[in-house]
Amino acid sequence: MASRAGSLALSHVSLHYGAGLAVLHDVSLTLARGEFISVIGRSGSGKTSLLNLAGGFVAPSSGQVSVDDRPVTGPGPDRAVVFQDDALYPWRSVRENVALPLKLRGMAPAARAERARAWLAEVGLQDHGDKPIWQLSGGQRQRVGLARALASEPEFLLMDEPLGALDAMTRDQMHELLLRLWQDSHAGALLITHSVEEAVFLSTSVIVLAPAPGHIVHREDFDFGRRFLCGEDPRALKSEPAFIAARERLLAAIHGKEPVHG
Amino acid sequence: MVDLPITQPAPVPRRRRPALSWARYVGLATIGGLLILWSAASALGWASPLFLPSPARVWAALQRVAGQGYANATLAQHVAASLWRVGGALLAAMAVGVPAGLVIATSRIGRGILDPLIEFIRPLPPLAYLPLIIIWFGIGELSKVLVIAIAMLAPIVISTASGVRAASESQIQAARTFGATRWQVIREVMVPAALPSILTGIRIALGAGWTTLVAAELVAATRGLGYMIQSAAQFLVTDMVIAGILVISALATLSELGLRWVERRFLPWIGKA
Repeated sequence: MASRAGSLALSHVSLHYGAGLAVLHDVSLTLARGEFISVIGRSGSGKTSLLNLAGGFVAPSSGQVSVDDRPVTGPGPDRAVVFQDDALYPWRSVRENVALPLKLRGMAPAARAERARAWLAEVGLQDHGDKPIWQLSGGQRQRVGLARALASEPEFLLMDEPLGALDAMTRDQMHELLLRLWQDSHAGALLITHSVEEAVFLSTSVIVLAPAPGHIVHREDFDFGRRFLCGEDPRALKSEPAFIAARERLLAAIHGKEPVHG
Repeated sequence: MVDLPITQPAPVPRRRRPALSWARYVGLATIGGLLILWSAASALGWASPLFLPSPARVWAALQRVAGQGYANATLAQHVAASLWRVGGALLAAMAVGVPAGLVIATSRIGRGILDPLIEFIRPLPPLAYLPLIIIWFGIGELSKVLVIAIAMLAPIVISTASGVRAASESQIQAARTFGATRWQVIREVMVPAALPSILTGIRIALGAGWTTLVAAELVAATRGLGYMIQSAAQFLVTDMVIAGILVISALATLSELGLRWVERRFLPWIGKA
């Protein structure tokens, strides 16, 4: 698989720990900037390992992870990560959390405070900058995590089930926010999720992993997210027959069954 | 128009749980009970005043040492000498112990070198190495501070090293995705995450420091609470011995309260993330 310019590519990647346990087998995928790929699959199918490979936290046992044909040797500011547990720093205020990537890049205090303020406004938390993070709700904390990830202006945004712990209404709001931020940032997004509906709604492309060892069993492209960004109503999109059929198809793929035709 | 309850601000949650204030009352009652028992014991002649002087006599001894002084110095001078030794030792132990703890937590080679040393020092009683320190460094102020500092070192090193582990994997990974260098990860993530544990280490170290103070002031001291107590003990001035003990206890309590204040003021996030 040849990688395009402005893309994060995993080519024929396998990952096993020690001699025995194989986690991923021969996985290839390319995430271009402007794309939104979701990865779904049962527990133990290696979804999080896939993200750890893309993030550079672990090295593949075979195959290659590369950005624009340069091999990935570790984490870097071109690939920001939003973690399942928000990974915020409780000793820093909300704004200081968002400003940390800018501080590490050597930006002056006044400039980074200004930028952090702007990013907090992007996620609707402009009035919460001075608060300590434990005063925020779960959804607000994930929005801070998102603002912090975007503050480093990454080419790719890697998200490891960031919405898993949120209630349904907060999730819906986050979906719409996520799509807008993705569009504005022109980043390539990789989302690990348990929610098939979330994957279908947000993604330009969904990948289904099957376990033991993790391998790709299904890929499919969607345009619901783009249609939402063009102004269509999210409730209407999610109740379209095409949306429901797509959800059932992916669920069948996850559970290794032929789709049920009704 | 009457305000509906729903428009009223939510009551501010009480910071202290009722169980804790009960514990406080029980604590006060225990202290009061002991004082009554002590007064009764000396008033009713259960014990000779030589062994157990009455609270009033101890109070008089306190006033005596505060005013005219005892054993060549006033109470303020004794307290100042002891505070200087314990405080100086704490600063020295932190200056060495916090970096050492960070090295143990972040470097395998560092851990290999320092871990056995700390484990060697940790169980040693100060009275065992005091003579050696005196042989090496003389009987001056340096030896006294050093003995206390050595006693304080291990708790600070160990609590720093274990505190670093309070930083979660994802907090460290997040910093690395921002392009943080190894040193920046230590400074921005590991050290702040370790602060609560370091503070606990300082509390334990201060306990060890007060314990060691009397031993350190055994030799060639001319001032200090430990020296005052020993001088009094040699002449069986029991009320002064008890007065000295109470002063040390009060200072230790004050330092504990000070550390709790530091914790509330500067580390309000403890236990909340």
